[in-house]
Amino acid sequence: MIEIKDIAYWYENKDNPLFENVNLVFEKGKSYAIVGRSGSGKTTFLSLIAGLDKPKSGEILYEGEAINRIGLTRYRNKDVSIVFQSYNLFTYMSALENLMTAMAITGASHSGDREYAIEMLKKVGIDEETAKKNVQHLSGGQQQRVAVVRTMCCDALLVVADEPTGNLDEANTKEIIELLQDLAKSQGKCVIIVTHEPDVAQMCDVQYVLKDRQFQMID
Amino acid sequence: MNFFKRALLNIKAKKGRTFLLILVMSAIMLFVLAGLIIQNAATTAANDAKKSAGATVTLAANRDKAFSDMKASSSTKSKPSLNLAGVEVSTAKKIGVLSNVKSYSLTTSTTANASSFDAITTSDSSQGGMGGKEMKSAASTGDLTISGVSSTASALSSNGAKITKGRGLTASDLNTKNVVIETELASTNKISTGDTITMKSTSGTKYKVKVVGIYKASSTSSANGGGPGANDPSNTIYTAYTFANTLKGSKYKGTVDSVVYTLSNPAKSADFTKAAKKLINTSKFSMSTNDSTYQSMLTPLNNIKSFAQKIVILVAVAGTIILALIVILMIRERRYEIGVLLSLGEKRWKVIAQFFVEMFMVLIVSLVVAGVGGKFVGNVIGDQLISQQTTTATISSTSSDMQGGPGGNAEGGALSGTKGGPGGSVPSGTMGQATKSEKLKNLSTTVSVKDLVELGGMGLVIIFISIMLASFGILRLEPKKILIS
Repeated sequence: MIEIKDIAYWYENKDNPLFENVNLVFEKGKSYAIVGRSGSGKTTFLSLIAGLDKPKSGEILYEGEAINRIGLTRYRNKDVSIVFQSYNLFTYMSALENLMTAMAITGASHSGDREYAIEMLKKVGIDEETAKKNVQHLSGGQQQRVAVVRTMCCDALLVVADEPTGNLDEANTKEIIELLQDLAKSQGKCVIIVTHEPDVAQMCDVQYVLKDRQFQMID
Repeated sequence: MNFFKRALLNIKAKKGRTFLLILVMSAIMLFVLAGLIIQNAATTAANDAKKSAGATVTLAANRDKAFSDMKASSSTKSKPSLNLAGVEVSTAKKIGVLSNVKSYSLTTSTTANASSFDAITTSDSSQGGMGGKEMKSAASTGDLTISGVSSTASALSSNGAKITKGRGLTASDLNTKNVVIETELASTNKISTGDTITMKSTSGTKYKVKVVGIYKASSTSSANGGGPGANDPSNTIYTAYTFANTLKGSKYKGTVDSVVYTLSNPAKSADFTKAAKKLINTSKFSMSTNDSTYQSMLTPLNNIKSFAQKIVILVAVAGTIILALIVILMIRERRYEIGVLLSLGEKRWKVIAQFFVEMFMVLIVSLVVAGVGGKFVGNVIGDQLISQQTTTATISSTSSDMQGGPGGNAEGGALSGTKGGPGGSVPSGTMGQATKSEKLKNLSTTVSVKDLVELGGMGLVIIFISIMLASFGILRLEPKKILIS
C-alpha cells in the first residue's frame, strides 16, 4: 500500500541525517509500531508518511504513485488520516462538529451524515449529549477517542498515529490501541503508530525500531 | 463551503474576541463613514449652491471694442469720445424668451440735478479731494444718480437695500414718472411717499416726478469713485428705465445700458450665451457670466471635501494597519487550528476564506453600528469643520447694472468730467458698491445606501488586505512546522 524507497532526512547537516537509505513497505489490514529513543526521528518519519513534510532524498509511493505527484494536500485530504498525541481537535467545536467538519473537508462518503457521526461516537462510548459538548469539556481519553473516530469517519486507508496514548492512563491507552487495531482489522486500513511505550508496540502486528539511522524489524 | 460553517462556529464560540473585533471595526467604519458622508455632503452642497446661487449673464455694450474704436478715431484736433451702444429693448426681450432664462432685468443709468429739493452733500477727506483736502460737491450738474430699472426688486436686493415706505417699482411703472428715493434724502428734504418733486436733466429740462416709495440703502454702501454728490448712495433715485432714458435724451429711447439674465440652470450658461450671441452684434455688445456667489461658496466646500477625503484615506490606512495587526495576532494565535486544517488536507485558500468570512460577519455588524452612529459623528465633525472654515465669502457684488452701464466707471480724459452727459461716466453702480455675504451654515449629512455600499466596499478592501498580510507568514509554512511549533 505504501512503499518507502530509499529515503533520507536531515535538518541542517546533511552529513548527520536522522535516517537514510530507508526502504520499507506497509500493507493494508495491518498495524505497525515504530519505536525508538526520543529524538531518534520517529515523529519526523511519520510526518513524511503523513505528507506533512517531504523527504530530503528518496520517495514515498502510495498505491504505486509518488505522493509528491499526487500532491501533498490532496494526499492528506484523501489518503491519510492522522492521530496526534495532543488530539488536534478544533477547540471551538463539539465532538460531533469536529467529526462533521473532518468529513466535510475530506469529502468522506458519510459527509453531512449527522446520525452516522453520532453512531460512531457512541461506538467509542461517547453519548449524544457528550458529543454535543465543546471538546475542551471532555477528558483526555474522550478527546483522543474523538480523534480516532475522526479517522474512522474519513475514508482514508492509511492511518498514522503519533504517540496517540502519550497523554492517557493505562485503561484509556488500551482502549485507544484496540480502536486503532480495529481500524486495521475490520476496516482494512493500514495503521502506523509511533510510540515509545513497549506495551503499545507489542499490541501491533509489526514493530520497527529506529536505531542508528535505520529501521529494524523486531521479531 | 465548509469554511462558512467553521467561520460561524468560530464566531459563535469566541464571543469576547468577536465583540472586540466588532468594536475596533465599528470605530474604523464610523470614521470612514463620517469622512464619506461629509465628502458627499460637501459635493451635494456644492451642487445645491450652484443651483441656489445661480448665475447671471449680463448683456451690455462691448467696452473693449468701444475703447479701441475710440483710440482709432481720436485725433489731435478733437477730443476722444467713447461711444457705447445701448441695448435695444426688443433684442433684450428676444433673448429673454430663450430657454433657461428664469428672469431678466433691464437697467439704464444717468444723472440729474435736484430742483425742488437738495441733494445730499458728502464731505470726505479721504476720498473726495486732491491732496486730502475736504471737498464739497459742487452739485451743479448731475448731483443725483438715476437708476432706471425694469423692477426695483432685484436692483435693491442686489445692493442690500430694502423698501421702508410705500412700494417698489414694477413693470406697471414703465412709461411713468414714478420714483423711489433713499430714506436720508427723503428725511433731509421732508419728502414722503405720494409727494411730487422736481428734478432737472443735465440738458436743463425740468421733470415733475412722483415718489411712490422710500428705500433704505445698505449700511455698507458707500460712495465710490470720483467724488461726492451723485456718488453718495442717498442720492440714488430709482425710476423706470423708460423715464431714465427720457432724462438721458431722446436718442436713448427704446434702449437700455444693460440687461441681466438670471438663469434657471447655471450649468447651461455657456449654451445660453451661445444662443444669445446669435441674436446680437457681438462687435458692439458683450455677454459676461457672473457666478462669483457660487464660486465664493465653493471654496470652503472644496476645503471641507478635501479634508473629508483626507480623513477617509487616513482612517482607511490607519484602520488597515490596526486591523492587520489585530488579525495578525489573531491568526498567530490560531496557528494550531491552521495546522490541523492543513493536516486534514484543507486547501490554503479555504483557510484564508474562513478568516475572511469571519471578518466579513464582523464587518456586517460594524456597518450597522456605523450606519446608526455615522450620521451623528458626521454632523459633529461637519459642524466643527464648518465653524473652522472661513465661510464668509465676501463677494464684491458688482451688481448687474454696475457692470454694463455706459461709461460706467470710465476714467481718464475728458470723460471723467462729463458726468451725466450722454455716454457719460456715471454708472448706476457708483450708487454703492454693495457687498453681499454668503455664509455656509451647515452641511446636510445623511447616510445614504450609496454611502453604506461605498463603506462596505472600503471595509472589504481593508479586511482583505489585513487578512492577506496576516496570513502570509503562517500559510507559507509547512503544516508540520506549524503543528510542531
